[in-house]
Amino acid sequence: MERRNSKGIEVPLTTLRDGETGIVTSIRAGHGRGRGRGWGFEKRLMDMGLTPGTKVTVVKSAPFHGPLEVLVRGSRLALGRGMADRIFVEKEKE
Amino acid sequence: MTKRKLVIALAGNANVGKSVIFNHLTGLHQHIGNWPGKTVERAEGTLHFKGYTIDIVDLPGIYSLSTYSLEELISRKYIAVERPDIVINVVDASVLERNLFFTLQLIELETPMVIALNQMDIAKKKGIEIDTEKLEKLLGIPVIPTVAIKGIGIFQLLEKAIEIIEKRSSAKPVKVKYGEEVEERIAKLTKMVEHIQFYYPPRYVAIKLLEGDEEIEKEVSGTDPQIVSTAKKLETEIENLHGHSCPTVITSERYEVAGCIARGSQKLVLPIKPPIGERLHTITTHKIVGYPIMALSLLLVFYSIFTFGDYTSELLSNFFYRLEPFFSSLFGTEIVGKLVWGGVIEGVIAAITIALPYIVPFYIILYFLEDSGYLSRIAFLMDNAMHKMGLHGKAFIPLMLGYGCNVPACLGCRIMETERERLLAAFVTTLVPCAARTVIILGLVGEFIGVQWALMLYVFNLLVIFALGRLAFRTLPGEPTALIMEMHDYRMPHLKTVLKQTWFRLTEFIKIAFPLIIIGSLAIKLIEVSGLLEPIASTLSPVTVMWLGLPAITGITLIFGVLRKELTLIMLATLLGTTNFGQVLTPIQMIVFTLVAMFYIPCIATIAALIREFGWKKALFITVFEIVFAISVGGVASRVLTLTA
Repeated sequence: MERRNSKGIEVPLTTLRDGETGIVTSIRAGHGRGRGRGWGFEKRLMDMGLTPGTKVTVVKSAPFHGPLEVLVRGSRLALGRGMADRIFVEKEKE
Repeated sequence: MTKRKLVIALAGNANVGKSVIFNHLTGLHQHIGNWPGKTVERAEGTLHFKGYTIDIVDLPGIYSLSTYSLEELISRKYIAVERPDIVINVVDASVLERNLFFTLQLIELETPMVIALNQMDIAKKKGIEIDTEKLEKLLGIPVIPTVAIKGIGIFQLLEKAIEIIEKRSSAKPVKVKYGEEVEERIAKLTKMVEHIQFYYPPRYVAIKLLEGDEEIEKEVSGTDPQIVSTAKKLETEIENLHGHSCPTVITSERYEVAGCIARGSQKLVLPIKPPIGERLHTITTHKIVGYPIMALSLLLVFYSIFTFGDYTSELLSNFFYRLEPFFSSLFGTEIVGKLVWGGVIEGVIAAITIALPYIVPFYIILYFLEDSGYLSRIAFLMDNAMHKMGLHGKAFIPLMLGYGCNVPACLGCRIMETERERLLAAFVTTLVPCAARTVIILGLVGEFIGVQWALMLYVFNLLVIFALGRLAFRTLPGEPTALIMEMHDYRMPHLKTVLKQTWFRLTEFIKIAFPLIIIGSLAIKLIEVSGLLEPIASTLSPVTVMWLGLPAITGITLIFGVLRKELTLIMLATLLGTTNFGQVLTPIQMIVFTLVAMFYIPCIATIAALIREFGWKKALFITVFEIVFAISVGGVASRVLTLTA
């Protein structure tokens, strides 16, 4: 699932391999601009530091499509896969 | 100088050592209750210092001051409405940027504050050096470096707090400045908000309106709906300018400010070798090795709790039962004596012999694991499995507690984010075979049929939990939530804090469970004394005998089991006059009986916990559902087993 925007290719965080780093471009909590839970989780992710433009490194993911372990702004977070699927990043060039 | 009363609030992210500082400040003078009408904990304590009587309020650990959770809402309302004399913002030096994001929101609330820059030791180990003076200058707020776990800096922190209160704040905190386009609109909105009376500062209200804060929107539209519609218009303008939603823009820019301050005051020197905590993390969350380590640790935990518990429980009950002659000499052996001993005292004994030997070590280990950081790793490993029943990783923790005792497990469901998930997790938890049910499973099926059959019952139980969990997840309205959890660095837990938390949980358990256990055992004793047991057993016989194929007296034992599940087995032995169940029950009867005992009702203490957390309606629903379910499963099992035998 690749999407193109003005800056380049953005992919869901879940497509990053272990150890890869990306820059957050957007969070799509679904349901358009619906407030309620969608808004709550988008806000929560941002409150934890995952705002657009932030560097995020995938350390590893738990087996059998488990959650992702990511490093963001110096803290270590566990993100459920469903959540991580909605975070779009631009892959960093090596 | 007369004794003045002061109020100090502690605020900060979760796992930054807030409660350790709280314990240092208040010592033994503290109590934990709930915020009025909420299931959020409120810890308060008092302290005497320099002629002041200081009330310390420990606010919940949160990451933001929006309305994502009840905890956040309560915290910001408390600071804005109750106006503590000062807020001590506990900041984790090892994750400075994200912690400062919260600090900036406190600044926006315009409360007098001081910063405790905690966990300086962990930061150092990670290779982070912080220039405290520079941080102080950049924030415009006094900063005191602390290592709470060793008690370093606590006195200075308190002194500074008092000094600020006495001087009536000479400090001028930095203004959180957003981009020009945003600032312009905040200013516009602030002017409008200034005209209405509100307990939040006008600029704060303006910012939160642009962030789309539902609670503030609601309150403002009650007084002046014009403001909300203007805010909506401005929001769209910002959105068009930036290409991101307005809340995104504001949060990003606030983080930008936090990042600037963090970068300006910290220096990163990479440590030569990864700290031991880092290596431990890698192993304990490893794709393959992580699971056996988890299984082993949990087995070890439960094994030691049960061994210790069994031993101490027996000692205690032997001790108490030696008091029986004393009581019968006091109240006689007639009805009054029987009621006092068999109803009240035995109830108390039952409660004590569960609470002390099992619950206490249980909580000590639990808090030890939580504080060290291992529980969050377990939640990470189990997230995927928990999703199969519609919950996420954190729910594994109450579920696991359930294998010890359902009561703390139900209370432990508070770690879930939404009301819906708390209820789902609690429901699933009540189906978990606790220590008492383990006694039945192993003591009856394991002993007289074989361990492999006992194991099969456990597996069957797990299947039921998954199936019913999924069913409940499908039927309850609302959206599922996902795991968003911080895994803080491994650290040594603070023993005193662990012990204190254990103590509060114990008193909580006593308050919830004891009254109902005593009332329950008194009621059953009354039934017994008035000779109603036999009639009740025969009334129940259509179910017990005809449907389940069990002896009629099991009806009585199942009633007793409501008090404590293991009583079903003890009473069975008493009523049948033998502990050699192999002689009086067929293997099929044993399995059916155990199945029913496993599911049929949460014990009375668990019901009390359910009522407290979710109200009596939901508690009643769960109870009735489980009775019906257990009887159905038992009857079906009886027929299937008879056919295949």
